Amino acid sequence: MVLKINNVSKNFGGISALTDISFSINKGEIFGLIGPNGAGKTTMFNCITSIFPPSSGEILFLDENITGIKPHKITNKGICRTFQNIRLFSQMSVLENVLVGGHSQSHSGVFSGVFRTKSQRNEEEKLRSTARELLELVGLSEFEDAVAENLAYGQQRRLEIARALASDPKLLLLDEPAAGMNDTETADLYYLIKKVQERGVTTLLIEHDMPLVMRLCDRITVLNFGKKLAEGTPEEIQNNQEVIEAYLGSEGDDDIA
Amino acid sequence: MLGDLINPYYLQVGSFIMINIILGLSIYITLSSGQLSLGSAGFMGIGAYTSALLTINYDLPIIVGVIAGALVAGIIGILIGIPSLRLTGVYLAIATLGFGEVMRVFLVNWESVTKGSVGLSGIPQIGRELLKFSRDSGFSPMSIGLKNNQFVYLMVLLILVIINILLIWFLIRQNKSRVGRAFAAIKMDEKAAEAMGINITYYKVLSFAQGAILSGFAGALFAHVMGYISPADFSYHRAVDILIYAVFGGSEVIWGSIFGAAFMTLLPEVLRFISEYRYLIYGLVLVLMMAFRPQGIIDVPLLQKLHLTKRRSKHGSKN
Amino acid sequence: MLLEQIINGITLGSIYAIVALGFTLVFGVLGIINMAHGEIFMFGAFIGVTVTSTLGLPIWMAFLAAIAATAILGYLLEQFALRPLRGKKGVSHLAPLISTIGVSIFLENLSHHLFGAGNHPFKSSFAEIHYTIGSITIYLVQILIFVISVILMIALSYWLSKTKAGKALRATAENLETASILGVNTKQIITLTVIIASAMGGIAGILVGMAFNSVNPQMGLSIGLKGLAIIILGGMGNVKGAMAGGLILGLAETFIVAYGDSGYRDAIAFIAIIVILLIRPQGLFGKKTSEGRP
Repeated sequence: MVLKINNVSKNFGGISALTDISFSINKGEIFGLIGPNGAGKTTMFNCITSIFPPSSGEILFLDENITGIKPHKITNKGICRTFQNIRLFSQMSVLENVLVGGHSQSHSGVFSGVFRTKSQRNEEEKLRSTARELLELVGLSEFEDAVAENLAYGQQRRLEIARALASDPKLLLLDEPAAGMNDTETADLYYLIKKVQERGVTTLLIEHDMPLVMRLCDRITVLNFGKKLAEGTPEEIQNNQEVIEAYLGSEGDDDIA
Repeated sequence: MLGDLINPYYLQVGSFIMINIILGLSIYITLSSGQLSLGSAGFMGIGAYTSALLTINYDLPIIVGVIAGALVAGIIGILIGIPSLRLTGVYLAIATLGFGEVMRVFLVNWESVTKGSVGLSGIPQIGRELLKFSRDSGFSPMSIGLKNNQFVYLMVLLILVIINILLIWFLIRQNKSRVGRAFAAIKMDEKAAEAMGINITYYKVLSFAQGAILSGFAGALFAHVMGYISPADFSYHRAVDILIYAVFGGSEVIWGSIFGAAFMTLLPEVLRFISEYRYLIYGLVLVLMMAFRPQGIIDVPLLQKLHLTKRRSKHGSKN
Repeated sequence: MLLEQIINGITLGSIYAIVALGFTLVFGVLGIINMAHGEIFMFGAFIGVTVTSTLGLPIWMAFLAAIAATAILGYLLEQFALRPLRGKKGVSHLAPLISTIGVSIFLENLSHHLFGAGNHPFKSSFAEIHYTIGSITIYLVQILIFVISVILMIALSYWLSKTKAGKALRATAENLETASILGVNTKQIITLTVIIASAMGGIAGILVGMAFNSVNPQMGLSIGLKGLAIIILGGMGNVKGAMAGGLILGLAETFIVAYGDSGYRDAIAFIAIIVILLIRPQGLFGKKTSEGRP
């Protein structure tokens, strides 16, 4: 088991955003986290990555309790994420963004960085070659030197994935990677996430594009108003009466079928 | 002949430019991780007083004093930096401004050590020590056609130029390394940087302390070039001077604060009438820069353009 | 002796509170720190000196002139130093801070040229009137300062909570976008805020001139920095906090001068800032910001 969420709750000044959520993700899975807007999906991500720790409950990563440790330590342990509202280092080049993603995979400090010791040069070379390989994976090789903020929207989303992969995560958290993408881009994204799976990375996916979720995910958990509504295979979820009602009750844009 | 060309006054202005460039670098390096510190004048004072007191009272060589001054400023920088990290943006600016004022008040009031607002005089000067050293080793400035004071000012300037080149080299190398990337990432998006595994506490304290070390270092050099320091040298106005180097020259690239420091030091010297209205002009510059060119005169596109024009002119000469 | 010190402390504290209110109003509405506020205050004091000492006019004329002059300065500040930065893409949140530092440096040196450096006595026969009750001496000026401060605070609180313009201002402070959607002319409100804050600074300037009988171009910096200390102490953008913070600092400074080392008087404010920022960053009266959702 890669990730185990045990009875996690999160309150914001009396308003509960998550109530007693539990689920677990197996190695190599693509696991979907869906639900209407405001269901608490991104809050769940923020709890896992310790942007804010849960109010109660615990989060186990590879059997280790990681609840509430510093965010950068979470990344060092092997969890990395993308953001719903793209948060690239907008004035850096595409390549530099991925290099920053490799921060946790490198160690050189001020001294070795300035005097370019042999180990530092090796490390930097390795970082660069990994970064280029990842850019190729997400199809951005030709934009290596472009400034990140000048990329098209879909490209920015893919760059975020490459940046996250540069930290060599065992668990990748994707927060609405298809948002704002057209059909072709979404199709590309499908193959990209599949390729990431082939690399042995486990993926936890928040997404509103239901056809994509249903095709990609091995298992899905549905949240509604901060509570867990259902869990199961895409088929089970699609036929779950409660889930259908929850979605019908919300705005129509997230049609589940 | 050489002697006529070397005007001690120009040489001294050159030395001040070099010291101010170090101060400009100090605010640049702190800003490179997104932190605005208005405490540079305070750290400068710490460096200056530490080195001056060590060399006056304990007869330590200047170089030891200067290094000690930079280190003490750095240590205090870490002590101030760690708690200040909980502050962001304007709060950090105000807290560091407050720190600078507290430092000044202490320098004025701790009379038994600092001689109060009168200041310290008789600080060993780099130039004189060099002259003594060269005499002891049997070298006479006259043999290369220089008067003593010309030789002294020239040597001081040379030393400062070498120090500056080393510092700029150091910072450029650092910028291009993993540490520099971490600074830049924190500046652009702290949350995203943290999510990429960057220990933001460590890197922010690192850049804050580097800024403090540079300020303290510049302060110590200032003391040994001037030979005389008083708390007024490290007041709020000094902090504004240093701020304007980065704001006017450009705070995004290292060349910005270097250019800013050099330009702003030269300006009142070249245009004498300006020196009376200096702060009036500084005030206007700050307002106008924020309104029309908040990134400062020198920014990345400008640098790229300069490179481009260079390349183009090369092609042009071929044709 | 003790009572006299308390009275002195309250007098000083009331002035600090008015200065701090100016900072707090601007911070509350615009979310920026107006580093030029101290210099606007200093200009008010100089106008007071000019009107009473140089022109020999009565004190109430000085108040009117100072209010008018600082209100105009406030308007100019908003027009030239603040508005150009607003709503511009890619402007760092530090830009208004730096811009107002520019204005402060400009005004300080302008007053050097206009009024001359050094101390200017605030000649007013008014300042000499005092009463002796038992062993305590109270100056009429002290009473006046206290009364004016209290009136200003009450008027400001009333204006903020009861009048339409005050409500619009609070709505703008709460959320600029929502306020403008609701039909509040936020541009006007912002200008009004800066003008009112500046005029309050001008009033405080005259009060200080009368209380200390001395006005100089550097006073803006030292009072301005103290005003900053107070709003951090009391909580940013918090009206009650500014008042309480002002009184606390006034009393603390008076007592250290009376019973401690007067040389360190000016350091108290900053030591207070640093301590407060470390143990209670939201200030004494500020609300703790809840961990917001990103």
